[in-house]
Amino acid sequence: MDTAPPPLAVSAAPAAVSAALTETNVRVTSGFRGAGIVVYGAVLDPHDRPSDVVVVVRGPDQPIRIARKVRIAGLWLNSRPVVFQGAPGFYMTASTRPLDQIAGFGTLRRLGLGLDHLAINAPLEQRTETRYGVRDVVVSRLGADYLDWRRAVLRLKEKAGLYDADAAGVRFVDKSLFRAEIRLPAEAPIGRYQAEIRLFQNGQEVAVRERDLIVEKVGAERALHQFSQNRPWTYGIVSVLIALGSGWAASAAFRRS
Amino acid sequence: MDLYLPIAEVSVNAPLLMALGALVGFVSGLFGIGGGFLMTPVLVFLGIPPVVAVASEANHVVASSASGVITYGRKRLVDFRMGGVLAFGGVIGAFLGVEAFRILRLLGQADLTVALSYLIFLGVIGALMLSESLGAILRRRRGEPARAPRDRRPMWLYGLPLKMRFPRSRLYISVIPPIALGMFVGVLSAIMGVGGGFILVPAMVYLLRMPARIVVGTSLFQIIITTALVTVLQAGRNQTVDIVLATVLLVGGVIGAQLGARASARFRAEELRALLALIVLLVGLRMGLGLFITPQDPFVLAGGGG
Repeated sequence: MDTAPPPLAVSAAPAAVSAALTETNVRVTSGFRGAGIVVYGAVLDPHDRPSDVVVVVRGPDQPIRIARKVRIAGLWLNSRPVVFQGAPGFYMTASTRPLDQIAGFGTLRRLGLGLDHLAINAPLEQRTETRYGVRDVVVSRLGADYLDWRRAVLRLKEKAGLYDADAAGVRFVDKSLFRAEIRLPAEAPIGRYQAEIRLFQNGQEVAVRERDLIVEKVGAERALHQFSQNRPWTYGIVSVLIALGSGWAASAAFRRS
Repeated sequence: MDLYLPIAEVSVNAPLLMALGALVGFVSGLFGIGGGFLMTPVLVFLGIPPVVAVASEANHVVASSASGVITYGRKRLVDFRMGGVLAFGGVIGAFLGVEAFRILRLLGQADLTVALSYLIFLGVIGALMLSESLGAILRRRRGEPARAPRDRRPMWLYGLPLKMRFPRSRLYISVIPPIALGMFVGVLSAIMGVGGGFILVPAMVYLLRMPARIVVGTSLFQIIITTALVTVLQAGRNQTVDIVLATVLLVGGVIGAQLGARASARFRAEELRALLALIVLLVGLRMGLGLFITPQDPFVLAGGGG
């Protein structure tokens, strides 16, 4: 969608958003130190209503195992780990304003938008039961602590630089042209990413664009990774031979000197 | 100069890693230990996932031990027969240990097991070695004669069946104690991600009463066999060996090991042991410290822990 939609004569013409990424392939080489993904686009609204733009970049899902430190007999030990399924390996939002000013709680929750509303859960800890005559109520075994656990997942991921929310990350560079930059750290997972560009007006989402982004290893990194995956035993033997060979080479070199 | 590691999927500083590899290699050549108990915690601290750190470190240990063994072997300071018997036990132990560790990981207690193993084994061995070697140094300073080691060799060592001659070590003992020792070290090496030299060296000195000069090379020889096996198992089963990481480490490691093997001739045996004891003790205490300090964040990512 790089061309503007045909102008409509209707007064309630819906606003639209158009966007693209400067790079759709991030190539991970031996010198990879992270990348900056630039999203740019335009709000197409014949009426120039006040608009907010939210850009979400989401990486491939990576289940998270998390444990809580508990004090037993004076020692800090790990509790049984809880697995959070469906947590993205990378999740960044950039927006023109803080998300809670752009839309209401219900809208954000329904869209699963932002770190506070991101849908991640621990299905193994959940069961359904009948409560107050209502069937199939989802109950978490983590009980009231559930929010603590969820917050911890977000906190640990934020500390690793993999989750973040930039409430001023989208800037309007011209009347309707906007630009956002998302920082991808070197630790970001490999795989298929989605960039969603959402247009909000008056607290409601009015348009959305999706763009794909691929983070992939290239060259020697790719070859080595595939070697280790496809022929793991040969890979292991080769690793050992390299180690033995270099040990021998070093001792031979030092013997002469 | 940053380098992206294809399996660990993180970017690290290459010269720093190479220097660390050389330092650990030096310690390895000097004491006849793999050095894994030093390197694995450092790698984890640098942000490399623990499972990758453990597996790649095993490969690094293969290289620096090989470098050291060849040098010791040339001086006829390796008892290959004793090393082979120890390694036989080590191989059985490594298989058992990998299985035990897999179960512990599923229970989420891998971190605890690793920390406790470090604290208990490094702490106890470090303390014992330190007191023994300091005693020896003090006795020598006072001009007292060194205690004759022979008369304290435990008698049960001779009572067991399956005796074998170890001419290089001047021993004629049952193979059961060395195999049992190798197995025990094999289990620990799988759990702690180390070669186990820090247990083998004192056990061979104090338990088997092997001549101290033979111990270092023999220990390195058995370490090569077990860590080579661990590397292949880890690569084949878990795909966690990072060949780039291992190569960066071993470039420094093999050179450091050579320097270490040469430097070892310049020190007295008991001084070397005192130094090693100190390092072992410090690492053990540092690793165990986490059990007693209130954590900053009560939640941790339970990736695997090793």
